[in-house]
Amino acid sequence: MKPERWQQVSRIFKSAISLDDGARSAYVVGQCGSDEALRAEVEKLLESYRKANAGNFMDGVAAEDAASLLLGENELEPEPRTLTPEQQFGSYKILDSLGSGGMGEVYRARDTRLDRIVALKVLSPGISLDKRRMQRFRQEAKVASSLNQPNILTVYEFGEVDGLTFIAAEFVDGQTLRTRLHESRLKLGEILDITIQILSALDAAHEARIVHRDIKPENVMIRRRDGLVKVLDFGLAKTTEKKVAPEAAEAATQLKTAPGIIMGTINYMSPEQAQASSIDERTDIWSTGVLLYEMVAGAMPFSGATSSHTIVQILEKHPVPLTEVARAPADLDRIVRKAMAKSPDERYQSAKDMLVDLRALKKVLDVKAEVVPSELSTAAIAVERTNEADRGRDKKRVLAGALIAMAVVTAAIFGINLWRTSRARTSPSVAAPVAVPDERTLTYWITVQKFKNNKPYQNPFTLAGEINFEASYQIRVNVRSAQPGYLYILNEGPASGPPEYNVVFPTPTANKGSSLLPASQMVRIPEKSWLQFDRQQGVEKLWLIFSAEAVTDLEQVKQFASEQTSGLITDPAQNKSIKNFLDSHATTKLEIEKGESLTTLKAPGKLLVHAIKLEHH
Amino acid sequence: MARTPHQHEITQLLAEWREGNQSALDELYPLVYDELHRLARRYMSRERKGHTLQTTALIHEAYVRLVDQKNVAWANRSHFFAISAQIMRRILIDYARRHAYAKRGGGARQVSLEEAATVVPDQSHELLRLDEALKTLAEMDPRRSQVVELRYFGGLNNEEIAGVLQVSENTVTRDWNMARAWLYQQLTGSSAN
Repeated sequence: MKPERWQQVSRIFKSAISLDDGARSAYVVGQCGSDEALRAEVEKLLESYRKANAGNFMDGVAAEDAASLLLGENELEPEPRTLTPEQQFGSYKILDSLGSGGMGEVYRARDTRLDRIVALKVLSPGISLDKRRMQRFRQEAKVASSLNQPNILTVYEFGEVDGLTFIAAEFVDGQTLRTRLHESRLKLGEILDITIQILSALDAAHEARIVHRDIKPENVMIRRRDGLVKVLDFGLAKTTEKKVAPEAAEAATQLKTAPGIIMGTINYMSPEQAQASSIDERTDIWSTGVLLYEMVAGAMPFSGATSSHTIVQILEKHPVPLTEVARAPADLDRIVRKAMAKSPDERYQSAKDMLVDLRALKKVLDVKAEVVPSELSTAAIAVERTNEADRGRDKKRVLAGALIAMAVVTAAIFGINLWRTSRARTSPSVAAPVAVPDERTLTYWITVQKFKNNKPYQNPFTLAGEINFEASYQIRVNVRSAQPGYLYILNEGPASGPPEYNVVFPTPTANKGSSLLPASQMVRIPEKSWLQFDRQQGVEKLWLIFSAEAVTDLEQVKQFASEQTSGLITDPAQNKSIKNFLDSHATTKLEIEKGESLTTLKAPGKLLVHAIKLEHH
Repeated sequence: MARTPHQHEITQLLAEWREGNQSALDELYPLVYDELHRLARRYMSRERKGHTLQTTALIHEAYVRLVDQKNVAWANRSHFFAISAQIMRRILIDYARRHAYAKRGGGARQVSLEEAATVVPDQSHELLRLDEALKTLAEMDPRRSQVVELRYFGGLNNEEIAGVLQVSENTVTRDWNMARAWLYQQLTGSSAN
């Protein structure tokens, strides 16, 4: 079709679709006059328009429609060379495959010279050609074999057979800590045992001036027979004599360009790793702290919707204390906090120091346990579990054991480069005098928990708000701001007649009844349960009021906040004055930036008043 | 070895491109492609575990990672989204092409939409044909073709598209209606073009 013709068709089409069926054909006929071809063209397009609508043609987005394509992609990559059971591989006889990791296959094999079972990790041929990854593989063997400690996996041999590079290591019949965590909750005693053994391994490594740099549940094996813990994967380990930052930066590039690499978990990364500052033994202390927190709470302390969110949390957020999240002993909470101090100087300075505290705690608890069973083993914990990816990955194989985890490349250091450049750039520009505009900003997101038969159903998910909610959905509102300010949240139901408000925030349990929200502190409302809609259909409004100064009208209604009455304001006069306040102050020039999972509100001036509308049926 | 994109570099390139330097786009393209491609793969590995691939989330994440937020003009964001949509199209078309090639031993067989839907849903061919049709559309009507690109490949909503193209939301809706009808006609082969 010629552009001129297209213009003609499109002009008629545009007006025609705004008309109803009857008027439409008359309009088209009138517009086309004697040009039969033009009329046929327009009519055909209108017919296509109708069919496309009826068939939801292109209603989704390409990436979703093509999901199976992207999924199928892996199948198109060449199969790695595999060894089969009974096959002789040098002096090893392959018994079975334990699984595959990022760098190659792992097999259970018999060393025919010494007649012992080993875990044999065979590097993919493609990777053998890659100098850097080869270097990493060799490094892993070298470091691990230089350490002789019962909690560190023993490496027997590093070699090459038929052009295939391999590592032979101690075979551990057991499961990774990640798998263990998915099976059932650990008892406090077990948690302490595991952590103490990890720290013993780290103590030996640190003694040899080796930093592991990648402590996470996937890299911890637990032997089935006796619960002995083995720390794996020294592939990223570094000796502390060297500055690590430039190498880390290089590794980030390398990981980025490598094919088929799954973005590994960054959740255990320390703030200094996230910022690519120079790192030392204390980074392992941090990661052990994160791991300990996760074992107790049943959820990772830092886990955002995206890796960028997670990194921000690592740098800025303080996780909910273990005493609150899991009724853990205060001493344990103190130990974990110290291990996870943002500044390395405020952490335990050595694995030994942390060991001393944990052993002491264990002793106290052992004594107590003889009298009262630990509360922890039965404590029900309402914490969101995220990171599906990790969970799914581990379901695959319980045993996969010894070396798979070791083989999976952690892309953790991935973010380092970007972060470093961003830091480097922003710090000088911050110093430049910038006129700070007088405005209020507030970020919120909503966590939704589905319920079935009054029980939580599936994992909670987060969204930026403003969608249709099913009756079975219960929600939690998460709010934070980079600015300090006075925050009030009121709920206005869909009922007709003069509105009645519920005070949702502050409450005696949320922020200790204070409306003053410190800068960058996130509040979850409610902290531990969920907001439930009543049965009435319609639009529920959650009013967010964020002010530079305390709002007198709203301070007065704080007294109504209570868990029992869900904060319903029963005084008609109060409701009326709130309505007046909201009507007259609702921000008109509000800038709303809605992301996939967060919404940021910006209002000029000192007061932000906005209603999140939640539709439900 | 591919370079690791630096935020300031990307931000700078975006600004240059906006000011009319076409070679900046050439430099920008592979950097953003890499990042989106990597993120897409990662999202898809989650998809396998029951998550949905959300293109906008992906592009937002790429934006956060690649662009220095402190030094970026607001208009650059629109430009970033525009280029990302274009790149998502490229990524998916590349996949489709490889997929189609692998499946048919290299021969590209024409499959109509109905046939594809009833026999084997073969998205790769559908996508490739859509891509071709969009190219034809771009020759006749660049803006409508861009609306399709931003919406279908970039996952942007009408409001965002209006911002990128500097037109009203109504215009976007109208453009989309027309383009969609025309594409439907092209892909179902009911055109007498």
